[in-house]
Amino acid sequence: MIADAGAASQLAWLGAGTAALLVATGMVAQSPAPVHAAVAVLGTMFLLRHDNRLLLAPPYGAGLLLVDDLAIRTMELSGIGEIAPDVIVARFGATMAVAAIGACLSALGALAVTAAVPRSVVLTAVGALAAVAAFVAIVLLVRRRFGPSAAEPGLAPSPPAPQASPSADATV
Amino acid sequence: MKGSLSPRTPGVLALAGAGLISALATGRPELALIAVPFLVFGGAGLVLAREPQVTAAVEPSRLRLLESEELTATVRVRNDGPEAVEVEVAPIRTGQLAVTPDGTVAVRVGARSEAEIAFLVRPRRWGAHGIGPVAVCTRDALGVMTWEGRLGGRVDLRAFPHEEQLRELVAPLRTEPFLGTHVARARADGIEFADIRPFQVGDRVRQVNWRATARRGSLQVNQRHPEHSSDVVLLVDTFEEARDQARGTLDSAVRTAASLARAHLGRRDRVGVVDFGGTLHWLEPAFGTTQLYRIVDALLASNVAFSYAWRNVDSLPQKVLPPGALILVITPLLDERSIALVSELRMRGCDLTVVEVSPLDHVSPGPTAPDAVAYELWRLQREALRARLQSLGIGVAVWESGGNLGPAVEEVNAFRRSAQPALRA
Repeated sequence: MIADAGAASQLAWLGAGTAALLVATGMVAQSPAPVHAAVAVLGTMFLLRHDNRLLLAPPYGAGLLLVDDLAIRTMELSGIGEIAPDVIVARFGATMAVAAIGACLSALGALAVTAAVPRSVVLTAVGALAAVAAFVAIVLLVRRRFGPSAAEPGLAPSPPAPQASPSADATV
Repeated sequence: MKGSLSPRTPGVLALAGAGLISALATGRPELALIAVPFLVFGGAGLVLAREPQVTAAVEPSRLRLLESEELTATVRVRNDGPEAVEVEVAPIRTGQLAVTPDGTVAVRVGARSEAEIAFLVRPRRWGAHGIGPVAVCTRDALGVMTWEGRLGGRVDLRAFPHEEQLRELVAPLRTEPFLGTHVARARADGIEFADIRPFQVGDRVRQVNWRATARRGSLQVNQRHPEHSSDVVLLVDTFEEARDQARGTLDSAVRTAASLARAHLGRRDRVGVVDFGGTLHWLEPAFGTTQLYRIVDALLASNVAFSYAWRNVDSLPQKVLPPGALILVITPLLDERSIALVSELRMRGCDLTVVEVSPLDHVSPGPTAPDAVAYELWRLQREALRARLQSLGIGVAVWESGGNLGPAVEEVNAFRRSAQPALRA
């Protein structure tokens, strides 16, 4: 047991180091992909825990979302010359709110997992329907955003103004 | 504006999907629970995101300025939508405009309200510059989607060159019979005393010189030189220029031309301009402040255009070079065509002065000894060319950037006074 715990601890440190390295790489390269990879590594490391996994999963997921969001928003804002203070406050507030809601929903999921529900055909059908509904919802969302009907007129870019030409009597 | 998923969104959705699939594959529900916040984030972002109703425009405090001055360009961003939006704004401008803050500015614009962002704009050199439209990028509250576009129109700014105050100007050899400030060689009504001659019928009594009359015993009258104006043509050589990273001879040439035009027009001369280079523009001589603005506007378009075309005096219409006009050639003396033009004009008897905008300030000798020798040879060649032009009776005023034009003009006047008999020939 002690040997297992020691190996897990080493793995945890290794994973944390790898994640930190990936985040730093993403910051330098201004790319979100390494940051997502770091979050994936941290999520995988959660499996190293052997106790209270269901209890800790919701705040862990919310924490990972915060790490991902804050790292990427830092990248986005680093390329901006001047930032109004309310921009940062609003962004941070929105992220915190979503993370909190996500944690609550995740906790509800944890409760559902722990509930001793007997297997039945009805429940299996409900589950399958929920999966199909989720798939259809995602498809509809993507179609609404990027389908042919999403081609809204919007504000067309204005044509470039003609170059100012000085007045001269003649040109050859 | 064009909407798209922000670069982060596919990653977030992929993480959520990976968590769910891993949970199914491994039978570990905690992985699905970890993925739930990511799923909420992506789903809520996609559901709640609405295309923003944003408009933007650039409003500069003024449209004309000197090249070293600054103006404030206010970008007005209006949000007509029901929700506050985060807007990143960057005015698009031509390369010679320095804008502070440099880069994008992020602001939050409330629902149905307006935000103003002030940018300080400074032209790096004279010319016609453009600012606008505004590159705008908006995001939804969660940053799941972005909308990008260019809003507003382009505003043209005119940066006028710095002008030097000139006390002395090149005195023309011939004048026109219009009221001006140059003392003409002719004798008529004027201020400057010219000579005394015997009284003739028709002379006015006020012209009688009583002291001379008393000495000579017969009526003597004063003769005077009238104050006339002259025609001045500024011929700006745009065949070639010497340029370092910051400045070039054309910049200085345009500044010189603008200074000379203002000074001559201030002395009631008719001034015209010819942009003589790869492209040929001209402006016929005329009087007044309007002509000054026309000249400066024409000078702002001056540019070095590469061309193999051989141009000479015949390329110019006769009305651009009026007979007896003083022609001031502003040139770095780098192109054979402009040197040939100068010689040809002089051969045709034009009253000509060369204002040489020295390219030496923009060229430095190379690091090796042969480079230094080559540089010295080139410098000596230029001096020889200058001497050759002076031998033709052409005054050459050398103007180095950062120096004053006044002493150079005075030097030319001294040369012209000494060479006047030859010049009149």
